[in-house]
Amino acid sequence: MSSEADGWNKVLWERQPFPDNYIHPHSFLSSLRRNPNFKPYTYWPLVLLCCAITQHLATIFTFLAVFVRLKERWLDARVLLWVSIVSFFGGYAMYEILSYSNPVRDAFTRSNTIKSSLLVFLALMGLSPVLRTLTAATSSDSIWALSACLFFLNALLADYSSMKPVRQERLTSVLSMNAAISSSVVLASRLPDDLAVFALVLFAVQLFALFPILRHQLQVTPQVAQILFTLTLCVLSFALTLPLSVSVAYIYAGISITVTFVAPGVLVWAQKYKNEIRGPWDVAVPRLN
Amino acid sequence: MISDFFHPNVGGVENHIFMLSANLIRRGHKVIVITHSHPPDRVGVRWLLPGLKVYYIPFPAIASSATLPNYFTFLPYFRVIIAREHIHLIHAHASLSSLGQEAILHAHHLGVRTVFTDHSLFGFEDAASILTNKLLAAALKNVDAVICVSHTGRENTVLRGQLFEMSEDSSALVVRPNVYVIPNALVAEQFTPATKPVSSETIYIVVLSRLAYRKGIDLLVATAPRICSAFPNVNFIVGGDGPKLNDLLQVRERHLLQDRIELLGPVRHRDVRDVLVRGSIFLNTSLTESFGIAILEAACAGLYVVSTRVGGVPEILPHDMISFAKPEEDDLIRALSEAVAIVSKGQHDPLEAHQKVKNFYNWGEVAERTEIVYDAVVKSEQKDLWTRMQRTMELGPFAGPIYTIILVVDCLFFLFLEWLMPRHDLDFVQMHWEHHNFRHVVQ
Repeated sequence: MSSEADGWNKVLWERQPFPDNYIHPHSFLSSLRRNPNFKPYTYWPLVLLCCAITQHLATIFTFLAVFVRLKERWLDARVLLWVSIVSFFGGYAMYEILSYSNPVRDAFTRSNTIKSSLLVFLALMGLSPVLRTLTAATSSDSIWALSACLFFLNALLADYSSMKPVRQERLTSVLSMNAAISSSVVLASRLPDDLAVFALVLFAVQLFALFPILRHQLQVTPQVAQILFTLTLCVLSFALTLPLSVSVAYIYAGISITVTFVAPGVLVWAQKYKNEIRGPWDVAVPRLN
Repeated sequence: MISDFFHPNVGGVENHIFMLSANLIRRGHKVIVITHSHPPDRVGVRWLLPGLKVYYIPFPAIASSATLPNYFTFLPYFRVIIAREHIHLIHAHASLSSLGQEAILHAHHLGVRTVFTDHSLFGFEDAASILTNKLLAAALKNVDAVICVSHTGRENTVLRGQLFEMSEDSSALVVRPNVYVIPNALVAEQFTPATKPVSSETIYIVVLSRLAYRKGIDLLVATAPRICSAFPNVNFIVGGDGPKLNDLLQVRERHLLQDRIELLGPVRHRDVRDVLVRGSIFLNTSLTESFGIAILEAACAGLYVVSTRVGGVPEILPHDMISFAKPEEDDLIRALSEAVAIVSKGQHDPLEAHQKVKNFYNWGEVAERTEIVYDAVVKSEQKDLWTRMQRTMELGPFAGPIYTIILVVDCLFFLFLEWLMPRHDLDFVQMHWEHHNFRHVVQ
């Protein structure tokens, strides 16, 4: 073993000429490595990555604005229905164009997609009378609270990761989608007629189940396009929320700005406290071929 | 000795406590062990063979023989036992043992000194480690000496428990002077090599471990077929049980190695030697190991050892008795090929290896070195309550006040117990097992 100048060996099988509490000054903690895998974050790339969060928040607030309008009968349900259908086809086309580089689609998958979307559409149409009376016995206050919690859960657990070649479904992303759909179903049950319920739930399925897939694909596009898209979404949701309630709109704007600009700054500042310790005591990771 | 892990459980820590106690008794000290009870009826006071009194406290055990962490429920039992047995020093074992850590907290009320031995290595990253490390740092703030079983173990314990003090000239943080390294040992007579030499045509590689991820069974599964195809005269004997048994069975079937890899299932401790002497090479693929007593047992039985270079393993045997490999498949193949070559050429002598290990590690020496630690501890000054409170406050802005409050409440509880069960009413122990009395009576 390594033999030191004063005759101390880091071995246990030989009794050393030193007392047992002798600590050799050079070799003690010599194999300690601090922060070996440290990749420092920089501010602007982080801001770009945070755009995913901002987009998600924008969709939530857009949905809420649409819901309030539907409830107050300022928006016709049929208009919303047409918007949903058109945006579905538009979004699907954009998804196809963007995933042109790795075409996993073939005729079979495409027909499957059409079939399943048609199935969902018709099922929702059939279920909407049931959904309307789902929470008839609950008072509105508990509905607002429940819906807020579920949307919070959705925002917390959503999949904000950047584009990976193969998209793995994580448990948290499935949970977040479930939370959003539950929340929208629970909100939809407050609406006055069946068509409105159907329109809202269809819109929700599009926004929270299908839009995240498109958002993932959008991260491949050049940076300017992403920033522009994020900006459009935010302005749209802000504009939709403003006529309803000024305070809520400003709170939303505040949250958006914090999430996009302040939070990355805090993360960059907190890096100086990073203290990862690695040494021979760590559980080794076996490398197999 | 205070620990959650003792007889009738079998394991490294349990064996260590028993052998150390037996050797300290042989050197003339009085040793008792305090541990928790085992259902259905192992509760109360029992005696183990060389005059070792064991107190089984009626606490229920949760996962793997560890009791629930609490700070005060042990105090009444502790006070009564320590007072009636006239104990001067307590020795706590294992960082996961809550009885041990509590005992370190309570010991100063009775003027008793404390020593702590740490047997395992922990990481720093996952949630369980962070919590255990914080608890350990709190317990070790006021302990009188810490013993670790290897140099790597000492580095790990010092970092985890933050055993640093301001140096005399207040310039830098230095490690405390009371952290010792005393290795484990083994009873060499239980692991004698085979009396007649093993056949030299077939070379048997023995693997004896719990079949879990932590023991690197994935590496074994990956390398066994390659070794079997590269060396037609090499067979494997695998003993032990665990979650990865299925992987081994599958690889055996996939490569049709049923007659080359023998699976023995769980092996009892008393049969370990018989399994070991069937082979010439011992393979250890653990991903982390603070000391590696299984490696020593194999080396003592005359086998050549191949092991992954992790934890404290590089420190336990000289280079001519062990081959190291990185925890990678290719490097392990290289090390095993080297070992097979050495054994085929007959360059490894089992009887000589046994003699060497017998001289390197024996419990008498461990007991002697531990006695030196006890001596130093007893001669040092006991810290008074105010110093203890100040040291506990240094733990941090949140943990410091919390633990100081626990310390103060502990003192108050102790005063309450002094009033409730006064010392003069306690049933003091007048007689203890004295070996020369027994010999006198028997002769």
